[in-house]
Amino acid sequence: MSTGTPPLPNPPAKPQVKSLHCPQCGTAITLRSFQQAVTVVCESCHCILDAKDPTLKILQQFQAIIGELPPMIPLGTRGKLRGTDYEVIGFQRRSIESEGVRYDWHEYLLFNPYKGFRYLSEYQGHWNDITVCKDLPIVRSGFVPNANYLGETYRHFQTAQAETGYVIGEFPWQVRVGERATVTDYVRPPRVLSCEQSAGETTWSVGEYRYPQEIWKAFNLKGQPPEPVGVFENQPAPATVSVKQAWLAFLLLTVFLLGLMAFNDMVASKDPVFNGSYRLASGPAKGEASFVTDVFELKGRSSNVEVKTNANVFNSWIYLNYALINQDTGQAWDFGREVSYYSGYDSDGHWTEGSHKDTVIVPSVPPGHYYLRIEPEADARHPEITYTVSVRRGVPVLKFYGYALLALFLPVLYVTFKSISFERARWAESDHPILQTESD
Amino acid sequence: MFSPLYLLYGFMVLSFVGMAEYRGWSTDTMNEVRNIPRSIRDNPGAYRSIYSSYHHYTGGK
Repeated sequence: MSTGTPPLPNPPAKPQVKSLHCPQCGTAITLRSFQQAVTVVCESCHCILDAKDPTLKILQQFQAIIGELPPMIPLGTRGKLRGTDYEVIGFQRRSIESEGVRYDWHEYLLFNPYKGFRYLSEYQGHWNDITVCKDLPIVRSGFVPNANYLGETYRHFQTAQAETGYVIGEFPWQVRVGERATVTDYVRPPRVLSCEQSAGETTWSVGEYRYPQEIWKAFNLKGQPPEPVGVFENQPAPATVSVKQAWLAFLLLTVFLLGLMAFNDMVASKDPVFNGSYRLASGPAKGEASFVTDVFELKGRSSNVEVKTNANVFNSWIYLNYALINQDTGQAWDFGREVSYYSGYDSDGHWTEGSHKDTVIVPSVPPGHYYLRIEPEADARHPEITYTVSVRRGVPVLKFYGYALLALFLPVLYVTFKSISFERARWAESDHPILQTESD
Repeated sequence: MFSPLYLLYGFMVLSFVGMAEYRGWSTDTMNEVRNIPRSIRDNPGAYRSIYSSYHHYTGGK
């Protein structure tokens, strides 16, 4: 994408720089931002020098801690951000302290002679591309304060005291190690709005989350970037997770499912094709208990057959070995059904268990002439049991709709759970943690 | 994006339900047997279901 600005002078091996020497140690000092630099840091003796002073007056000298991490993007590196070439000219480590723990982040100052300055911040592998705000945001107080910038509302995330711990390179302001500022962050992923207040000066900046690979590619850095740790304040939720859309889609599909159920219920034939009443005499069976019903006809295309049993069992059971047999082909469907019903009283009061009814669906039965072979069984001491058997052709199966609803709901539940976990992780480090537990 | 993929999945679920209903599928389990002898009509005891060894519940609290 063209920005209409000419690229930085090429080749990069010979940048337009001004060469000076550190008054403390004599090391050559390179100024990359021409007259824009206000302070410059000697990389050798860590003197902060006045870049506006022809003699490079020493403003501060600091001791770099042992093990201070060097910038991941070395000073002088050039890269392309949003179609514009930038050069890294400054680097600083800043930190906040919370409950005795120091949290460090790094800021890279980038410069383009035509576009000016912008910043990159890095915290535990999370990157932000930051620019100074074009307009003054409007802050609204409340239970959770927010800030409005260019018509978008940002939610307050955290306010903390930040301290500069290490600097290197050059800066367009009076940088000092040990400098403190109150930093307030408002978030609207993938953007973050930051207000920095120090010594009567307030600076607003807006940042956009960048994935490490984008930074590595933009600056043509070698190796792999460090993997981001945890969830950052303005890190966008994974692209596949959109809870609102998922629920809307779920509602839409549920409406379709209900429509399908109503339609199938309307068009289902539900033809009663057989009905019989039988009696199982009390006591042990005398002779062969099994019998066959009259032949009935199943018409139309292959579809299911419902066999419903209704028995007057009371604190007893009846078990029926069924076989639905095609008289013409000898094809049969074997199934056993139990009807049992128990009731009584105990310390909890009246209870019941079981039912007088049972329904079973025989799948995909072709048309033809059929009969049922029924073999009833019951307890040896059972009283007389009367039962009815009714057969219907082409009935809707409600269980399918239940399973379908579950199949539609589970992905939405998963996405919702993932989103809640993500947001919980995001806000856990804020001044407004959500779903906070004692262990937090 | 989640929605188009989910919608596609959802319509596949709905299609499955529609097909299950049209083909007359069932969630109940049963044993399909072929070539049942015609003599069962006259002698039902000549055939025994595989479910006849079912353990019956004699429940209640």
